[in-house]
Amino acid sequence: MTELLMLSSAMELELDLDLDLSGCSTETTSTTNTAISPDQWYDWSPVVDWESLAPIDQLAGGGDFHELIESMMEGRDGCEMDSPSSETIEEASNSCYTTTSSQSTDVTMLEEGVASNGEDSKGLRLVHLLMAAAEALTGANKSRDLARVILVRLKELVSPTDGTNMERLAAYFTEALQGLLEGAGGVSHSKHLFGNGSHREHGHHPTTDVMAAFQLLQDMSPYVKFGHFTANQAILEAVAHDRRVHIVDYDIMEGIQWASLMQALVSRKDGPPTPHLRITALSRGGSCRRSIGTVQETGRRLTAFATSIGQPFSFHQCRLDSDETFRPSALKLVKGEALVINCMLNLPHFSYRSPDSIASFLSGAKTLNPRLVTLVEEEVRPARDGGFVARFMDSLYHYSAVYDSLEAGFPMQSRARELVERVFLGPRIAGSLARIYRAQGEVGCSWWEWLGAIGFKPMPISFANHCQAKLLLGLFNDGYRVEEVANHRLVLGWKSRSLLSASIWTSPPQSDFAD
Amino acid sequence: MFQQHKKPSSMNSHESHRPMCVQGDSGLVLTTDPKPRLRWTVELHERFVDAVTQLGGPDKATPKTIMRVMGVKGLTLYHLKSHLQKFRLGKQPHKEFNDHSIKDHASSLDLQRNSASSSGIIGRSMNEMQMEVQRRLHEQLEVQKHLQLRIEAQGKYMQSILEKACQTLAGENNMAAAAGSYKGNIGNNQGVNHADMGNLKDFNSPLNFQSFQDLNIYGSGDHLDQLQQNSLDRPPLDHHSFMPNNDNINCMGSKKRPSPYNSGNSSGKSPLIWSDDLRLQDLGTAASCLGPQDDHQIQIAPPSIERGTDQIESISDIYESKPMIQGDEKKFEAGNKLERPSPRRAPMGSERMNPMINAGVRQGRNSPFG
Repeated sequence: MTELLMLSSAMELELDLDLDLSGCSTETTSTTNTAISPDQWYDWSPVVDWESLAPIDQLAGGGDFHELIESMMEGRDGCEMDSPSSETIEEASNSCYTTTSSQSTDVTMLEEGVASNGEDSKGLRLVHLLMAAAEALTGANKSRDLARVILVRLKELVSPTDGTNMERLAAYFTEALQGLLEGAGGVSHSKHLFGNGSHREHGHHPTTDVMAAFQLLQDMSPYVKFGHFTANQAILEAVAHDRRVHIVDYDIMEGIQWASLMQALVSRKDGPPTPHLRITALSRGGSCRRSIGTVQETGRRLTAFATSIGQPFSFHQCRLDSDETFRPSALKLVKGEALVINCMLNLPHFSYRSPDSIASFLSGAKTLNPRLVTLVEEEVRPARDGGFVARFMDSLYHYSAVYDSLEAGFPMQSRARELVERVFLGPRIAGSLARIYRAQGEVGCSWWEWLGAIGFKPMPISFANHCQAKLLLGLFNDGYRVEEVANHRLVLGWKSRSLLSASIWTSPPQSDFAD
Repeated sequence: MFQQHKKPSSMNSHESHRPMCVQGDSGLVLTTDPKPRLRWTVELHERFVDAVTQLGGPDKATPKTIMRVMGVKGLTLYHLKSHLQKFRLGKQPHKEFNDHSIKDHASSLDLQRNSASSSGIIGRSMNEMQMEVQRRLHEQLEVQKHLQLRIEAQGKYMQSILEKACQTLAGENNMAAAAGSYKGNIGNNQGVNHADMGNLKDFNSPLNFQSFQDLNIYGSGDHLDQLQQNSLDRPPLDHHSFMPNNDNINCMGSKKRPSPYNSGNSSGKSPLIWSDDLRLQDLGTAASCLGPQDDHQIQIAPPSIERGTDQIESISDIYESKPMIQGDEKKFEAGNKLERPSPRRAPMGSERMNPMINAGVRQGRNSPFG
């Protein structure tokens, strides 16, 4: 499993290089343009692998760049495009040249360090092609035609269901880019193979697939359990002496988080008798009719579970407004209840929720003065600039770590992994790239930072909680690690990459409660 | 629930109970018990820590190498072994504590060199540390036990979701084909639901199992027989039981050598068996639903498919009809050995796995969450 790791580190390195180079790419371009003819260049830079961009025979015959691109563009199938004028092709090939020549520098540098066996070099090639495509789509020398060409080539090289991890991952990124390319002009509502990522529901996958994938995801990786158990442990500690506990759950999904909490509540030995547990699930308003049904079903299931283990329990739901904003007044609160706000975001199996909705929930929750807020979110690396390519590469790095972790745990079950990838990861990749694309220039921050900013107080992670996370990870592959950051966040990572972060918060003391 | 452990109310109270100490010529402080124990003075501990660091950390250092590096006369492997053990366990959560107490007492080092009486102070801090270590250890064990229970609870819950999903699917699949022809007897199903049963057999074929190496590590060969037997003569379905298919589990659970997958049933940790041969996609949704079950013998209940349409709307019955198994988690509690689902480590776990877990599974089989 060195392949992806090497890639990962390569990617990181590359990211740096890329940023360094972006400033001077124009000069680079002009120099190379004058200094080296395309033929020479072709010899000089084996790395971006133009071989892979065209059938060998054509290269052998001509070596003419324009011809090459042209033949590829004609050769594309099923890709509807107005027949390109010779100018566009010219332009495309020029910028193509530009992109690759500026890249070839770092690429060459990179390759010196990378032992090239077949898989690694194909993986690297894919990474470079993806980066080139991302650059062509948004970079300084924007060329949609070039992007299209590169994507066509990429699609020939990869498949979401076949090949190495990197190839499958690249397939989803390719698809996502394709979606952006096609939707770039107007609303991004491409009906692409993997659906429209920005508003992903599991709708286009049969429920059983989703559930099987969900089960697999839980079995293969600690991601889901880490989030749930860490939050639950914090809740248990916070309500150790309460008779009534009320949890408001932002995104309850199937309710799986609460089974283990109930179990823990009924089995606690010392302290008061099992408290009454009330869960209020938020359901999406208006647009999603299915959502309420699912929440109701979850409620029934949770009630049945609670009954089966003897946990006093009641279930409510609270609709978000039609724009998915949260109104605190819609919540039914009872005096004397310990109020807990539970906010699981971006676990791999969760669907996307808009930042506005989350913000309205968290800031609304603040007015309720909750005992505890549990927050689990994807760990995002702060973007050094808002640039698409840099964030694209970061995203690639992130997901390659996820893929990597799944593969390391279950190397033999590639079928099973494919299912998880198809149902959860693919749509997420599409979704997050779409958001990065739309939000170019914006620099987002983590929700935990935001919580701190709106006045919640971070709470320390207990030893027991930390310990639990460690033990949990011990059940999975050695590559996982958990780290306590600043004593109030537990961060779950795969090797060197941080993936999920869990933090717990409480309301500031009433006296300086200024809202 | 974890913060209940009390710290000793007053450290001084320990003073009076402490046995007298003597300082040997090598600088070691030993108790005057009939069985002299070593007092780990701060100085000694520092030398120990130095040695450990020099050797590349507590995980690399061994008592023998430490003894060599420290070179203190009178220090035995026995002393080092137990101290290293404590050090390893205590190191992580204790860092601040150690630093703190060592700093606090650094000034008393000189005193300590000359007078045995000062070792009382040092001893106290070490004692405190020891107790802290103990407390943490205890806590860790608790956490481990609880984690096991939580995983199992989550697994049980997940199972109920999967069953529901399969039921829905069964409804969709069977609606057109054979509404009403299921009388709860599996025999009928084999006739009607040909495709599905065919798949079942595929999954059950030994070939598939052999191709999946991991399974061989765990499974005794008779798993296969059992499996096939089960798929052939499954008992008549009980319409009121939530998971009639748990008969499979029952069989396996009663085996002498439990496979970790049995517990996987309740804990949801069954991934190992997702064989590569599983045609999740090729077989379509039915397969992805059935697949895991057949490979594992657990998880998803195909009978829900076989149950057919007359069962679909009965989800509410299922929730209401079954009594809760109250004492269930007691049984699970007995097994506080955590098993790893990872194929790399699990073999050990499987051998040590507590059979009580299986018992729990067995008894709980009539409950949706049993």
